[in-house]
Amino acid sequence: MNLFKIVTKNMRQRALATTLTGISVALAVALTVAIVHIKRGMQQRFEQSTLGYEMVIGAKGSPLQLVLNTVFNLDISPGNIPWTLVEKLQADRRVKAAVPFSVGDNYRGFRIIGTTGAFGETFGYKLAEGRWFTCSIEALRDAFKEALEHSQERIAKEKGDAPAKPAAHHHNAAEAVIGATVAQETGLRVGQKFIAAHGVEVSPNAEEHTDNPWTITGILAPTGTAVDRGLYINLDSFYHIEGHEVRDAPKDNDPDPGQVSAIALKLRSPIHAFPIYREINDGEEAMAAFPAVEVRKLFAIVGNIDRILLAQAILIGLVAGVAIAVSIYNSMSERRREIAILRALGARRGTIFAIVVLEAVAICAAGAVAGVAGGHLIVMVANAALRHVSGFTVAPLTMEVAELWVVAGSVALGALAGIGPAWRAYRTEVAENLAPTS
Amino acid sequence: MNDAVLSLREVRKSYREADGNRLDVIQVGQFELAAGDQIALVGSSGSGKSTLLNLIAGILLPDAGVVCVNGTDITQLPEAKRDRFRAGNIGYVFQSFNLLQGFTALENVRLGQMFGNGTGDAVELLKKVDLAHRLHHKPRALSVGEQQRVAIARALVNAPALVLADEPTGSLDAANGTAVLELLRQVCTEGRHTLLMVTHDPAVMRHFERVVRLEELR
Repeated sequence: MNLFKIVTKNMRQRALATTLTGISVALAVALTVAIVHIKRGMQQRFEQSTLGYEMVIGAKGSPLQLVLNTVFNLDISPGNIPWTLVEKLQADRRVKAAVPFSVGDNYRGFRIIGTTGAFGETFGYKLAEGRWFTCSIEALRDAFKEALEHSQERIAKEKGDAPAKPAAHHHNAAEAVIGATVAQETGLRVGQKFIAAHGVEVSPNAEEHTDNPWTITGILAPTGTAVDRGLYINLDSFYHIEGHEVRDAPKDNDPDPGQVSAIALKLRSPIHAFPIYREINDGEEAMAAFPAVEVRKLFAIVGNIDRILLAQAILIGLVAGVAIAVSIYNSMSERRREIAILRALGARRGTIFAIVVLEAVAICAAGAVAGVAGGHLIVMVANAALRHVSGFTVAPLTMEVAELWVVAGSVALGALAGIGPAWRAYRTEVAENLAPTS
Repeated sequence: MNDAVLSLREVRKSYREADGNRLDVIQVGQFELAAGDQIALVGSSGSGKSTLLNLIAGILLPDAGVVCVNGTDITQLPEAKRDRFRAGNIGYVFQSFNLLQGFTALENVRLGQMFGNGTGDAVELLKKVDLAHRLHHKPRALSVGEQQRVAIARALVNAPALVLADEPTGSLDAANGTAVLELLRQVCTEGRHTLLMVTHDPAVMRHFERVVRLEELR
């Protein structure tokens, strides 16, 4: 026989009250754990995704939108920027790599991103199987010319003029390397073909590019980033698709009609970051943004919502603590005789105090443990929604240090809740409570 | 100090009544019990018998006087030490058994052992009071006679020098009462425990060679 056995017996005797108050603690802990876990997990995923993307450049507008679109395959592209900027940056001695991206299509909701072979090399993405697509600058220039001719043809048709006969162009094969999640969820394998739908989101009315199927040449190893959810195609194949001609009214002497959605930069040294950032933003044709900074800003905004949710969870916890205190305090009237018997058997006042506090602590601790399990269950269930909203999921079974603090906090709450009833038990008079009450 | 197991000297206890006057409940001049003594302390209802037992057990403190158990003046001990002393040196059997309802017979006995740091064998004691087949039954599943036998086992589990019994047969029928009384006397004799039983029942008094009226203690 020991104190814990006495506490367990007391809890069993008050099974309903113990269960209900334990559930309220579990609810508070589950919410707290889920909020902390999802926030940390998402922040880690977002920060992990920005690794290597020192700076992104795109059309002027919202820097966050540009970063979300370029790095996380979320939101819509803020617009296009001229291809000449890609070449200019690639020629800049301060820039180690300038990787262009063009977006606008999807396959079953997964975004299709046109880029060059520099993409994998620059950011260190490894192939799990197959090979990278083929993309040459010559093929790209040819694709731009074709895109320009398509634009001119469309404009002439609109004006009622006889369209010029488009020149014959050599096309590289339309090839794609797909992310690990895409392969897993769609079942696409190396050697298979797929057809893209227009637009970055799934739409029942979306036009399908049935004349331009892509052949999968490789599947990327999992990265835990947004890259897992992308289909990467050779950039020139992007401009062979009708509707991807890049300007409504190209100028006659335009040396380069090409446009891209964004450019990701890798610099030779961090000291070049701010000069390039200023140069781009001072100009009129594009805007630069630091992904890491934008992600921090995003989570600072999300953090406020997060804090409100956490405050709610803590409030539920406090209410649960009060409920425990009230429940045990009220039970003291019925338990006065039991306390007197224990005292008569030799239990000290301090022992009685400890039994009552331990009971409150045990309810909170049991609720906290159940809550931690419940919190992870919420994360598992929420993963489907998270994937839909952000493209990321959070590992539901990893433990956060914060969870230990939540459990410790719950135990402290229990101890606090137990003090009032324990004091009442402490003061119970033995002699006058030994006889049964009628 | 002699070798008395229980020694009371000039013990006084009074309560303040609603009108502010003090009511003297206990007035004991000199009273001693030696090891192995078994006596019945007799008094009418409300005469203060239970109060006297609570004073001897250290549950209540007298307004004045000395209460020595096994050579220790328990009135001089701080409360926590007095509680521990009681657990180890005094066994208490109540009229209403005072078993904890959520605990089995064996657990109730072990509760007594826990606070007294006793090393006695709770199972053996329950066998001795003929409850070997009821070890894991809760009080509600036991007859009143069986419940009182559990209470006797609990009182003896720490091998106390002094056993106090407050009308232990008061809630039992005649047959059960006699059986419990004989059992209590027998185990106290075997263990050389000093037994002080308070009663107002003449049938119970007849079992004791020494009967003391409360008024005689003044």
